[in-house]
Amino acid sequence: MPDGPYLGNAQFMQSLALILVVLVLAVVGFRFGRGQSIKVVEGNARRLHSLPGYHGLYVALWCGGPALILLAVWLSLEPTILKHLVLGALPTEMLQKPDGSPLGVARLELLLNDIRNTAAGNVASTANAYIQDAAARYQSLQQTSYAAMAVVVLSLAVAGAAWAFRFIHADFRARNRVEMIIRGFMIACSMVAILTTVGIILSLLFESMRFFAVVPVTDFLFGLDWSPQMALRADQVGSSGAFGAVPLFLGTLLISGIAMAVAVPVGLLSAIYMAEYAPRKVRAVVKPLLEILAGIPTVVYGFFAALTVAPAFRGLGESIGLDVSSESALAAGIVMGIMIVPFVSSLSDDVITAVPNSMREGSYGLGATKSETIKRVIIPAALPGIVGGVLLAVSRAIGETMIVVMAAGLSANLSVNPLEAVTTVTVQIVTLLVGDQEFDSPKTLAAFALGLVLFMVTLALNVVALHVVRKYREQYE
Amino acid sequence: MATAEQQVEMTTSQKDILSRQSRISETVNAGLKSRYRSEARFRAYGAGAIVLALVMLVLLFVTIIGKGYTAFVQTELQLTIATSGEALGIGNDRDAAALNRADYQAQIKASLRDMFPDVTGRKERRDLYGMVSDGAAYALRDALAENPALIGQKVTLQVPVASDIDMLHKGQIDRTVAEAERKVNDFQIGIYDRWVSMGTIGLHFNTALFTQGDSRQPELAGIWGAAVGSFYTLIVTLALSFPIGVAAAVYLEEFAPKNRWTDLIEVNINNLAAVPSIVFGLLGLAVFLQFFGMPRSAPVAGGLVLTLMNLPIIIIASRAALKSVPPSIREAALGLGASKLQTILHHVLPLAMPGMLTGTIIGMAHALGETAPLLMIGMVAFVVDIPMTPMDSATVLPVQIYLWADSPERAFVERTSAAIMVLLAFLVTMNAAAVLLRKKFERRW
Amino acid sequence: MLKKTLALAVLATVATAGAAEARDTIRIVGSSTVYPFSTVVAENFGKSTSFKTPVIESTGSGGGIKLFCAGVGTEHPDIVNASRRMKKSEFETCDKNGVKDIVEVRVGYDGIVIANAKAAPAFDVTREQLFMALAKEVPQGDKWVANPYKKWSDINPSLPNEEIEVLGPPPTSGTRDAFTELVMDAACEKLPAAKALKDAGDDKTLKQKCQSVREDGAYIEAGENDNLIVQKLGANQTAVGIFGYSFLEENADKIKGAKVDGKEPTFDNISSGAYPVSRPLQFYVKKAHIGTIPGIQEYLNEFTADKAWGPEGYLADKGLIPMPDAERAKYKEAATKLKTLTAGDL
Repeated sequence: MPDGPYLGNAQFMQSLALILVVLVLAVVGFRFGRGQSIKVVEGNARRLHSLPGYHGLYVALWCGGPALILLAVWLSLEPTILKHLVLGALPTEMLQKPDGSPLGVARLELLLNDIRNTAAGNVASTANAYIQDAAARYQSLQQTSYAAMAVVVLSLAVAGAAWAFRFIHADFRARNRVEMIIRGFMIACSMVAILTTVGIILSLLFESMRFFAVVPVTDFLFGLDWSPQMALRADQVGSSGAFGAVPLFLGTLLISGIAMAVAVPVGLLSAIYMAEYAPRKVRAVVKPLLEILAGIPTVVYGFFAALTVAPAFRGLGESIGLDVSSESALAAGIVMGIMIVPFVSSLSDDVITAVPNSMREGSYGLGATKSETIKRVIIPAALPGIVGGVLLAVSRAIGETMIVVMAAGLSANLSVNPLEAVTTVTVQIVTLLVGDQEFDSPKTLAAFALGLVLFMVTLALNVVALHVVRKYREQYE
Repeated sequence: MATAEQQVEMTTSQKDILSRQSRISETVNAGLKSRYRSEARFRAYGAGAIVLALVMLVLLFVTIIGKGYTAFVQTELQLTIATSGEALGIGNDRDAAALNRADYQAQIKASLRDMFPDVTGRKERRDLYGMVSDGAAYALRDALAENPALIGQKVTLQVPVASDIDMLHKGQIDRTVAEAERKVNDFQIGIYDRWVSMGTIGLHFNTALFTQGDSRQPELAGIWGAAVGSFYTLIVTLALSFPIGVAAAVYLEEFAPKNRWTDLIEVNINNLAAVPSIVFGLLGLAVFLQFFGMPRSAPVAGGLVLTLMNLPIIIIASRAALKSVPPSIREAALGLGASKLQTILHHVLPLAMPGMLTGTIIGMAHALGETAPLLMIGMVAFVVDIPMTPMDSATVLPVQIYLWADSPERAFVERTSAAIMVLLAFLVTMNAAAVLLRKKFERRW
Repeated sequence: MLKKTLALAVLATVATAGAAEARDTIRIVGSSTVYPFSTVVAENFGKSTSFKTPVIESTGSGGGIKLFCAGVGTEHPDIVNASRRMKKSEFETCDKNGVKDIVEVRVGYDGIVIANAKAAPAFDVTREQLFMALAKEVPQGDKWVANPYKKWSDINPSLPNEEIEVLGPPPTSGTRDAFTELVMDAACEKLPAAKALKDAGDDKTLKQKCQSVREDGAYIEAGENDNLIVQKLGANQTAVGIFGYSFLEENADKIKGAKVDGKEPTFDNISSGAYPVSRPLQFYVKKAHIGTIPGIQEYLNEFTADKAWGPEGYLADKGLIPMPDAERAKYKEAATKLKTLTAGDL
């Protein structure tokens, strides 16, 4: 159990105040450093190696940096120390069970929670005198700790500033030092993206491995039955716990396929129209309107699909004698298609406008009409880019969650009939993970295995798509 | 080629060529009509595609606004309550503890009985009580807590009615349907009609929607809790993703040597931007919640997850902004003796800043509308209280929409639509700000 | 200035990232059937006291009890709602994990209804027919075969000529457990084939045969969201749902309940016990948490007040079937005196 820093509301504010004071000190340090650097060269700033501002910054960094790091360390260690101090001061009978054996970690944690709550002024139902004392002690310790922290942090800030201050002279390479620090910071920041990927892969892999230890990979990837609701207790009979994900993959493909059947023609044709035919004015109005479609949150599309589109299709189907499920893949797919239209159209638009004008003019010169030019010259030339865009759109459709969670079904039917309800990978991830999570049952871990598949597939699609698009760009640059 | 051939032929037989030319123009002319038709057709397809997309957009908005505009008002009943210590069950006590334990519900029921002394049957009374929301008791409590001296006097309050009566008043319950098929029975409709004829029932602005947290009762449910949750989540996201994103972009665009390592980072960032958002939710669940033990349902964890999701977007936008600053600016600064970092901080970054901010705002709008990853980290609990700090349990606006959309009460449909309108209003504002920013500071070099 | 903002941001994260506040909010997990009642009590409790409103997650009784029994401490829930009684095995798990003192409070009764859309044909089924429709294997003669029934009318011509499509709770749900016990087991035991197994002393196979639910798509495990089932029923005329009576009452304009063994699922039939599929609802409280998480005792008081769970109380308005006076008095005492559960009680 992690013992994170305990930050009550008041303490949060106090810490924030201290941070602000340190920052003010850093600003003061900056001014002093700058002033000092000018002073050492008697006002002749040109004699300085670095501009006065850098000397100031150097001082400010030394003033703020170590102090803030110390503050963070202090805040993260404080609760553990306070806990030991407070619990240590309690009489032994409070720390024992009635039979004299010592309390477990969890019980101590509860006791501490009680003390903290009492200290924070939250009414706990049964606060005995010991708890009251401990709470008072906790509070006073916290105050002492805060005071000590303030003193130490502030002195460190001043000391840091003074330390840096000593260095200031004409030849001091303040700028280089400051730049080095900033550069280090920037490198660290660009590492975050790598760390995210590593984090995703590791966490998905780790949990999936645990899953595959129970369910063989082949059963998962090629099994035709999906029935993850296993028995919870030994004396209960649940589903057999089949984890064959093929119905989910098929459902995902079906819905994404329908979405692409809507998005690709509509997106591509509108991109062509906008790029080649539309007058400037129309373009100026329509483009932002299409962008609105892209900006609408997916949960809104889900609501639209579940409450408007699906019943409409059902009614339509009934009127012509078709049995359309209320969670038909068709409704979810079409709404998802609408969502992806702007994505396809803006990518295709970029690609089409990037085709050099000389190719258009050459075609016109040979007497081709506009549509012939588009069909025979521009599209073939832009094809790699368009394919790349479509692949990106596919990866988006596969990973889309809210629309299918709200409008698609839950039952894992092995079906390609768009009028029936199918379920998707993302729907199952959500169903398995919302509510109770036990990280020791294959049911929960299965969600991570599905996540891994999802990540791998979209990753592959993205890599191919980005590669194609890049190649294409290079061709005309 | 063709011209050379023609020239050759021209010298041999002019007549032959003339006839050939006329034959060509004949075939061309013959085909012209169908070619023009196909041209027009193609053009129409394009226009049709755009119209189709726009029709969908309009349909979406019309549905949501059509369903939701009524949620901004709430039906309220003017109720005169003869308060008494007995009815409240507190006798003559007037202190805070007594006011806390008083049974306001019973007092409301008593006043409803006074209003309709002719209603006596157990079932009828229950139906009658069911027509007024639990919010009536809270309204009474607030009024009495403010002024305990009112106890023993007649108090007139505007209290919300139950959601079904609200629906009836808004005309969303069809009276012609058989009694068993509708949520409001004939007796309740009779009472409602008497209220209407008494003039005590009417529509008022729905303040609860904008000031309250979630509730199981639609007439008491509000989006304020979710809005505050969204605010904290976005603050955390912004505070982390903007500085990190900008710093990473500057490094990658301006400093990083071109080698395998930076290539890898670049490919990686582009890929991350296209990873499904739910995968980030899984990451958050496994790393932040399971490994670091962060609190479930807390905006801090939500903000961290959205930060990771948003970073690639911001980095890509910022790099594009940096790229658009012409090299001449950098060269001029370097030529005047500025260091690389000075060049960037003093010259390039300020010029690229509008572009970066635009990208950030768009990224934040994206984060505001995101739902799936937050479901993974438990931001779907039923939270009534308004969160006070980013560490408290909370939901966010889109999750609230999701929760309400799943609720069976009819009145939640209009409230869901209203919440969507509020969310869209925020998004439109943010996007408009981004567009304005771009317009205002856009430079053509 | 940029650098300072950066520094501040990084620091703020470090400082707040792992922050865990002292928990001052009650955490409740468990049954989706009890969920609507407990959220109403929680709301009233939050609005009428100075305590924070409890945070409630609907995880299903089984899932909830599992979380509840995971241990004592701030990261574990304080209360679990259950639409069936705790099993002995669960009590033992609790005990093993140090959750020793548990207070059981029964809050009322609930019927399990079999419902479908208003416009769909009415159902009048027996429990045996339900078993035939839902069991994984059904006896034919003295052999057990994979459930061959595709349509309700295949089981009995009096039933509608429609495909069997039942949306029901997963094993994490208490409704599922209660349904298994009250319908599947009850019907199964009467079958000659099951009697033969029983006489042979093969209890394990008997249980397997009686309690296994078909997995060929006719029974759809719809998760812990009963609202979702109601929504889906409204849209899908052929589907039949299984859930608590309160959801039927809340949605009486959209769905209707089926007669089971000739009895309508009504308030009166359930409270009189005439309706065969009814069960008690209860919640369990961790005694060790009382006094350390503020408000638990007060929450219990709110729940067990007559204005809440009484015959005229607000929970009855939500569809809870109140207990008789004597039983209420008994559990009120359990809640105020914090009488703990023993293995013998279960």
